[in-house]
Order: sequence, then structure tokens, then C-alpha cells
Amino acid sequence: MIQNILCRIQGVGIYGVISIGIFFAFFAGVLVWAGTRKKSYLKTMGNLPLDDGSQPAPSSKNHPA
Amino acid sequence: MNTNVETFKYDNRIVRAFAMATIVWGVVGMSVGLLAAVQLFFPDANLNLPFITFGRIRPLHTNAVIFAFVGNGMFTGIYYSLQRLCKARMFSDFLSWFNFWGWQLIIVSAALTLPLGFTTSKEYAELEWPIDIAITVVWVAFAVNLFGTLVKRREQHMYVAIWFYIATVVTIAVLHIVNSMEMPWSALKSYSMYAGVQDALVQWWYGHNAVAFFLTTPYLGLMYYFLPKAANRPVFSYRLSIIHFWALIFLYIWAGPHHLLYTALPDWAQSLGMLFSLMLIAPSWGGMLNGLLTLRGAWDKVRQDPMLKFMVVAVTAYGMATLEGPALSIKSVNSLSHYTDWTIAHAHTGALGWNGFLTFSMLYWLFPQLYRTKLWSVKLANYHFWISLLGMMFYIVPIYVAGVTEGLMWKQFTKDGFLQYPNFLETIVQVVPMFRLRALGGTLYILGTLLMAYNLYRTAKSGQFEPETVAQAAPLASHAPASGKIKFHRLLEGKPLFFTVLSIVAILVGGIVEIIPMYLIKENVPTIASVKPYTPLEVMGRDIYIREGCLGCHSQMIRPFRSETERYGEYSKSGEYVYDHPFLWASERKGPDLAREGGRYPDGWHFNHMDDPRSTSPGSIMPRYSWLLTQPLDTNSLPARLKALRKVGVPYPDGYENGPAQKDLAAQASRVVQNLKQGAVTAESDREIIALIAYLQRLGTDIKPAPAPAPATSTFE
Repeated sequence: MIQNILCRIQGVGIYGVISIGIFFAFFAGVLVWAGTRKKSYLKTMGNLPLDDGSQPAPSSKNHPA
Repeated sequence: MNTNVETFKYDNRIVRAFAMATIVWGVVGMSVGLLAAVQLFFPDANLNLPFITFGRIRPLHTNAVIFAFVGNGMFTGIYYSLQRLCKARMFSDFLSWFNFWGWQLIIVSAALTLPLGFTTSKEYAELEWPIDIAITVVWVAFAVNLFGTLVKRREQHMYVAIWFYIATVVTIAVLHIVNSMEMPWSALKSYSMYAGVQDALVQWWYGHNAVAFFLTTPYLGLMYYFLPKAANRPVFSYRLSIIHFWALIFLYIWAGPHHLLYTALPDWAQSLGMLFSLMLIAPSWGGMLNGLLTLRGAWDKVRQDPMLKFMVVAVTAYGMATLEGPALSIKSVNSLSHYTDWTIAHAHTGALGWNGFLTFSMLYWLFPQLYRTKLWSVKLANYHFWISLLGMMFYIVPIYVAGVTEGLMWKQFTKDGFLQYPNFLETIVQVVPMFRLRALGGTLYILGTLLMAYNLYRTAKSGQFEPETVAQAAPLASHAPASGKIKFHRLLEGKPLFFTVLSIVAILVGGIVEIIPMYLIKENVPTIASVKPYTPLEVMGRDIYIREGCLGCHSQMIRPFRSETERYGEYSKSGEYVYDHPFLWASERKGPDLAREGGRYPDGWHFNHMDDPRSTSPGSIMPRYSWLLTQPLDTNSLPARLKALRKVGVPYPDGYENGPAQKDLAAQASRVVQNLKQGAVTAESDREIIALIAYLQRLGTDIKPAPAPAPATSTFE
């Protein structure tokens, strides 16, 4: 008897529905969380790479000024 | 200024060490790729040496580029940026150097073992079990160093780049451990714990996410750090970067099954993989646009600064690859693209464009910083840019053409309903000119990389290396809020442990939902009555098939399309693979599928074909495997192999390996020798070719009506 039995696991289709449900709940949460951040917070965070507490190398520019 | 301010030093030595390793391994990895590419139109370029034959060096190329070039590039960027984003030196100098030397040792081990044929055969996870353990140890050292640095940081907030680094560390650990479960049978060889469908699902859950969490997330972290640094402006939208991060790591982990469309994997899992892959476009493009828009109003800098030029192409290539990836995950598109060179073109848009160009960009920026000087030659860097961009185009465009041509030719029927190109060779001969162009593209790309190496060497010579950079910042305690109330977002991005736990939950949800059904499958796959374990001689032959990397060009999975069943025979069933440790479905066809190879040709044909493929198939691009005709079969290790296979679930009777197995092996080998005699071929029964022929003649015959020429019988059946 040769058959592709994998398709016959009972009720396996519910995994797809659960998966999409989990994702949309998660994604909605992230959107709300990101959307409610204050501008001052976002500005501070965005500027973090620009200040590392060290003195920049005076002549380290790659391109002609 | 805060009176509490502390003075400390960033460690630049470790950054320089990783940067140099990146350049060296980059050139090595790309050159091995070029050698493999040349063999696809000039098979004799292997000089008839097993160690540099396509099947063995293809995994060497992929491992070298992914783990040596990009791996060292990732460490370079992380060790530079993490210290500065945390305003702290790395947690432990010892761990930093343990990470560096451990990683280089792993790379050297890979460079030795893969050409020698020690491979698990699982893509991007080919390294054998002792090296897997070493990877785990070094990765743990890296993780401790990273989290230790986060704990002792002076910066209150964790910038989004660090989020990407954390996701990389934890996810790669989970993926590597789960996919590397294997049963050793010698000091350097093992069998996968999983078999068939389970092995395929775990492997591609790993394989896809190796791309996601080794080639993508750490490099996105680097983009979010180095792009604002070079442009000297903050990222376009930090809000978008938050959404980019969480949506990306949550979605990526689900998409693995898109590597197994139309295989014996359950249909619902395939559809889920496709759907989540499609949704991935949104965060990926959000990230790409965030990167490009950071340069708004600063495009004049892009004209002048080669570093930014490379960065713009890298981010654009990220966008192209992440649009194409979901497109290839659509089942109807995948039915055409799978097994063809289209996948190779897609992978190289990511590797050459995204990872390569971003690495070059970072190195051009870093060297002048580390050596307190300016780039030796902006002009040479611009030459590098244009030569490598041209090389990338010459690589990718012909291979797209090759991929689509292969897919269409395989599916082409005459108006009478017969295959238009029934001989697979016709389809491969057609695309050989594209393979030549691809090698030209690769050569140009390597040439550009060498120009960069020279430019950076001269830059280093012209400056003075700064082993440590002095910096000042207030300790973290002085940032503590006055009130005791901690808000959720402070908890999230201020507490590395809490953040890490959330990241693990985000990546595990997808893994668990997909892996639970895998266990259900295990409970439910019926043993097809006629499917038997491989005989001892076939086990030996299968191991030779793995050693030589035959799966680099030959799949063993016939999809349920008429174009495939007409060409190869009955489509593949999950129950046929229950004794396959590891699975050998493969993902490439430079030669025909072998799932129903058994009985297709006489033994003598296989013998001659292995000795010189062009003697039986004029125009074939397969390398010669003449050493198999002379190398003796290592039957001493048979008991260890069978014992290990029994431990992972293959039902060989107890004690079978201690005598009966050797007798069965000898009997089957002499039958093969008899068959060869009928084909006027004289061979000794104790040579490797005999075992390989026995294995090839077994393939697919368990459910094939016609008996194989060398029927497999043994005492345990």
C-alpha cells in the first residue's frame, strides 16, 4: 500500500489558522508599541551610533572634504 | 560634564584581527567558488584529484564564504560597534581572542575535512560532529562576551543594532544544536539522528534560518550602525527600525518549508511556508527603505565616498534579494525555479551584493579609523566598486538566464505529449555558455576584492595603528530614573535578559508550530512494506555518494509533475525515505534526478560512466571518478556504521554487524562483479566502485515494479 499519508493527519489544518492568528496579534502589538514611542525617545535612540564617547580621528575621512 | 565620568579604552586589536581574517578568507572562499564554477564547463579542471572535485569543494566554497568571510566580517563589525554602542570595552579580552582563534581553527578544520570528504551532506551544516561541538563552544564564548558587555555597559539604551546581534546569537545557537543532532560512528563521521522527511524539515528550518540569522540579521545590525556613522546622520526612522526588527525575526523562522515545495512535506506546511515568506517582503523592504532614506539630502556624499557607494548597492541588493525570495516561494514560481540555477542566482544576489558589498563598505570605513589616517586611494576604491559591480552583473544575469532556460526545457512537451528534451544532457549543454560567463563575472569580483586588499594594506602602511581608543562616559547607575517605576519599554530595551527571552519566544513560536507536526508525522508515517533498510554494501556505497558530494548536482526527490514522472518515473513518497540518515533530496540538478536510478542502466554502464562520464554521455559536465575504480572499500568500519544506524532507528538485528553483514556484503559484491563481467568489464569485488554501483542500483527500486539487475538480499530481510 503506497500512499502519501502525511496529508491525512487529522485536524492539521488548524496549525495554519493558529499561525496566522499568532502573527497578526504579535504584529499588531509591535505596531502599537512602536507607534506610541515619544519623539524624544526616538531621537535619543537614533543618535546613539553618532556619539561613542571618543574623540574622532581628525583626518580619517574617506572622501575629500 | 558629569563629575562621575569614567575613562576607558575600546579594544581595536580584536577588530583588526577579525578584519584581516575577513579579507584573507574572503579571497580564499571566492577563489574556491571560481574553481568550482570553472569545473562546470571544464570538468577536467579537477586535475583528476578527488580533493578539488566539484562535489567536495562546493560545500567548501559555501562554508568558506558564509562562515569564514561573512562570519569574520560579522565579528569585525560587532566587536567594533558593540563596544561603542555600550560605551564599554568588551567584557573579556580572553573571550574575544578565544572567539577569534577558535573561529579560525574551525575554518581551518573545515578547509581540511571537506576536501577529504568528511561531510554530513546537510547544506551549510556539512561540518562533522567534532567541529560541530567546537562551533558550539566558540559560539557560547561569543555569547558570554556579548552579554557580559551588555551587563557592564555605560549606555542606558540598547540601540537597534544590538537587538539584531542578540537575535543572531540566540537563534544560531538554537538552530545549530537542533540540526546537528547526529550519531558518530568514527572520529570524523556520523549519521543524522533524523531520517527522511523529518531530516529534510529540520535541515531546511536550519538552512533557511542560517541565511536569515547568519547572513541577514547581524548584517542588518551592521547597516544600522555603519550607515548612520558614514553618513553622519541618524537612521531615517527609528520607529520603522523597531517594526523592522520584530516583524523580521518573528516571520523569518516560519519560512523554511519554502525550500521543500512539492516534496513529500505536508501540503499545509508548504502553504504556511509560502505565506510567511510572502509576508516577509514587508519588514525587509521597510528595512531597505529605512537604510536608503537615511541618505536623503546626502546623496552628494554617495558620489564622493566609495564606502557609501558600496553601502547603497548592498542595501539595494538586500531589497532585490528579499523581493525575489518571496517570489520564489510562490508554489507556481517554485515549480519552475526549484533545482535550477535560478536559486544560485538568487543566493548570489544576496552573497555578492548584500554581504559582499556591505563588508567592503565597512572595511573601507574601518581601516582609516583604526589607523588614524585616510584611505590610501579613493580612486582605487572606485575601481574596485565598478569592477565588482560589473562582476556581480556578469555572474548573476547569465545564471538567471541559465536557470529559467533549464526550468522551461525540463517542462517542455511536444504537441504529441512527449518530453521535448527527454535526455537531461540536452538541457545542460544548452546553458554551458552561461556557466562560462558566470566564471568571468566571478573573476572580476575577485579582482575587485584583491584591489581592496591592496588599498587597505597601503592605508595601514600610511597610518599608525591605534590598538586602543580612549573614551569617556558616565557609569550606568548615574542614568537610573528617580522614581522606582520601570516602564515596559525601558524593561524591554534596557534589560538584556528580558529582551533576549522575548526574542527567543518570538523565534521559537514559528519553530514549535512547525516542528510539532513533524513529530506527528513521525507517529504517522506508515512503513511501506516493501521499503527495507540498505544492505551493508549499499550502506558503504551511500557513504561514498555522500563523501563525493554527488548531491551537489543530483537530487533524489521526484516532484509530482508530469514533466518529472515522465522523465524519472513514479513521484517520490515520504515512506521511501524512512531509513535515509541523512536525507539526500538535494536542492540542485546539474545532472538528472537519481531517485529511481536503480535498474535504469546495467552495472557496466555505471562502471564506465564513473571512470569517464563522457564515454557514455558525450558532452556531460560530470567529473571523472576514476579513483573509485582503484580505491579499496573500507569494510573494517562496517560494524561501526551499522551499529550507529541501528542506534538512530534502522532495524538491523542485534549482532548482524558481527559476521552476517560482512558475508552479505561479500555476496552482493560478487554478484555486482558477475554483472560487470556480462558487460565485458573486469573489476575486483573489494573496490569502492562496486559499493557505489550497488547503492545506485538500489535507488527507488523498493516500490519500482521492475527488479534491479543486482537484487538486494540479505539475511535480515
